[in-house]
Amino acid sequence: MKQTLTQSMAWLHTWGGLLFGWLLFAIFLTGSLAVFDQEIDHWMQPEIKQASVSNAQAVEHAVAYLQRQHANASAWNISLPSERMPALRVTVGDRRSGISTYLDPLTGEPLVVRDTAGGTFFFRFHYSLSMPRNPGIWIVGLAAMAMLVALISGIIIHKKFFKEFFTFRPNKAQRSWLDAHNASAVLLLPFHLMITYTGLSIFALIYMPAALDSLYKGDFETFYREHIEVMEEPRQAQTHPAPLTPLTPLAPLLAQAEARMGPLSGVVIEHPGRSDAHIEMRRVLGNRIALTKGHNMVFDGVTGELLAGPPELRPSVLAQRVMFGLHFAQFGGYPMRWLYFVCGVLSSAMIATGLVLFTVKRRRKYASESRLGQQLYRLVESLNVAVISGLAVACIGLLWLNRLLPVELAQRAGWEVRGFFAIWLLSLLHAWLRPRLQAWREQLSLAAVLCLGLPLLSVISDGQAWGDSMRLWLEVTVVALGLLLAWSVWRLHQPQVQHSERRVRHAQAQVN
Amino acid sequence: MSKAGETTQAWPICSRVLAGLLGGYVFTYALTAALAQLLPLDRVDALLIASLLSFIVYTLVILWAFAARSAWCAWVVVPAAAPLALIGFWPHLLERLA
Repeated sequence: MKQTLTQSMAWLHTWGGLLFGWLLFAIFLTGSLAVFDQEIDHWMQPEIKQASVSNAQAVEHAVAYLQRQHANASAWNISLPSERMPALRVTVGDRRSGISTYLDPLTGEPLVVRDTAGGTFFFRFHYSLSMPRNPGIWIVGLAAMAMLVALISGIIIHKKFFKEFFTFRPNKAQRSWLDAHNASAVLLLPFHLMITYTGLSIFALIYMPAALDSLYKGDFETFYREHIEVMEEPRQAQTHPAPLTPLTPLAPLLAQAEARMGPLSGVVIEHPGRSDAHIEMRRVLGNRIALTKGHNMVFDGVTGELLAGPPELRPSVLAQRVMFGLHFAQFGGYPMRWLYFVCGVLSSAMIATGLVLFTVKRRRKYASESRLGQQLYRLVESLNVAVISGLAVACIGLLWLNRLLPVELAQRAGWEVRGFFAIWLLSLLHAWLRPRLQAWREQLSLAAVLCLGLPLLSVISDGQAWGDSMRLWLEVTVVALGLLLAWSVWRLHQPQVQHSERRVRHAQAQVN
Repeated sequence: MSKAGETTQAWPICSRVLAGLLGGYVFTYALTAALAQLLPLDRVDALLIASLLSFIVYTLVILWAFAARSAWCAWVVVPAAAPLALIGFWPHLLERLA
C-alpha cells in the first residue's frame, strides 16, 4: 500500500478521522454541554425558583411530605438542593425508576414542573448517542478508539511538532485550516489524550472483559464485591413488612455525614417507618477527584447508629476512580467546569477543522472526478455542514423547544428529543439541497440568531425578567456563544476578498 | 492516485482494516487475559491494571495493522494471540480437562 510510516499513518489519520470525525464531533460537543447538565436542567424547569434553605430544613419538609403521602412506600429518596441545582426532589420506590415529585424547599408544598429532557439529554447522548444503552456505548467506545488512533497517528505524521506549535498563518485558506487543526490539536494534546482514555476507562470492563473472563470467569458481581469493601448487608426483618417504628431524627445524622464526607447530595431511606429502616447519606460527586459514586454512609433508621462508613479504596481501585473522576469533571467547582467546557469546545473545534480541511484539500481535485466521485464529495461536504452547524442548531433548538412546546403536552420530554433529532435531520436535507457556502452561512446564522434570542424567549415565556441568577448566567453564556457564531458567519463572507487583497498587497510589497 | 489504482488497493485496505479492528481485538483480548494471569498481584489489582492497559495495546495494534509492510504482515497478531490466550485461560483449560 504505502511506502513510508508517515504516509501510511497519514492515510489512516485522514480516512479514520473522516469516518469517525462526524460522530466524534457530536460526542465532544454534547460532552462539553454535559459539563453544565444540571445548570441546563435548572434552566429547563422555570417553575423551580432559586431558594436557599439548609439541608436539615429541606429534609424536614421532604420527610413531612413523604409521611403524609407515601407512608407505606418501600423507599424514599430525597435529592437535596445544591449550588448547581436548587430543586428539592423526592422519589418514591427505586431511585432511578420511581415516581419523582418536586417540592418547594421553603414550604414543602409539591410543585408542578414541566416534563423535560433537560441537560441530562446531552449527557445521555454523549455516552450512548441516546440509543439503547448497550449498542450506544459500544459505538461511542469504537469512536473513542478511533480518536485515540487518530491522535497517535496525528502525532507521528506531525513531524515538526514543536516548531509548528507556534505557527499560525491566518487568511491563507488551506494553510490556515491546517494550522488551526494543528494548533488546537497540539496545544490541548494532554486534554485530548486524557479525556479519550479516561472515557474508555469508564466502560473498560464492558469493552474489554478479558481479565474479568480470565480471573473471575466473567462474574462481575463477585469482582464488584471483592474490589470495594462492601457495606453491611441490610438486615432482613423477621416479618414482612417489619413492625411500625418511628424514624430517628435526621438532622443529627445529616450533620454527622456532612462533617465526615463534605456536602451531601441526597438521602435514601429504605423501609421508612419500620423497625428495619436504613438511612443512606449520599455525598455530592466531586468532593474529591476520585468518583465516589455509591460510597456513602449508612445509618440504622431507628437508633441512628452508624452501620457503615465510606469505604477506604485500595490503590488500584482509587486509581481507576480518579480516572473516572477526571472524565466526569465533578471536582474543583465552577472554575474547573469552565476549564473542561472550554477545552471540550476546543476539542470539538479541532475535530471540525480536521473535517473541513479534508474537503478544502480535495476541492480542486474533485472537480475533475467522475460523477460518482463528485456525488460522494458533495455528501461529505453536506455531512460536514449538517454535523457541525446542524448540531449547533439542534442543541440550541432543544432549549427553544423546551419553552415552545405546550407545558401540558403528554410525554413532553420525548417530544423535545424528537424535535432535536428532527431539526438535525432537516439540517442535513438543507445542507444537501443548498450550495455549500450558503448552507454553512444559513445554518450558522440560524444557530447564532437562536442563541442571541434565547434571553428574549425566556422573558416572554416565563414572564419574569431574569430573576434567577443561574438562568441568567446560562443565557449570558449562550449569547456569548451566539456572538461567536455570528462572528464565524461574518468571517465566511470575508475570506475570498481578504485573500486576494492580501495577495495584491504582498505582490506590491515584493515589487517595492 | 488514478481510479484503477484505487480499485486495486481496495482489498489490501479492507484486509488491513479487518486485521486492525478484529485481529487487533482478538490479540488485545488474549494479551489482557494473559497479563491478568501473569501479574504477581491480588486478582482485583491484576484485573484493573490489565484492563486499563488494554486500550494502549489495542491502539498500538491498530496502528501496526496500517504500518506493517504488507497486508499479510498485519495479520501476524492473530497467530500471536493463540499462546497468549493459552496463558490467559490455562486454569479454565485445566478445569475442563480434569
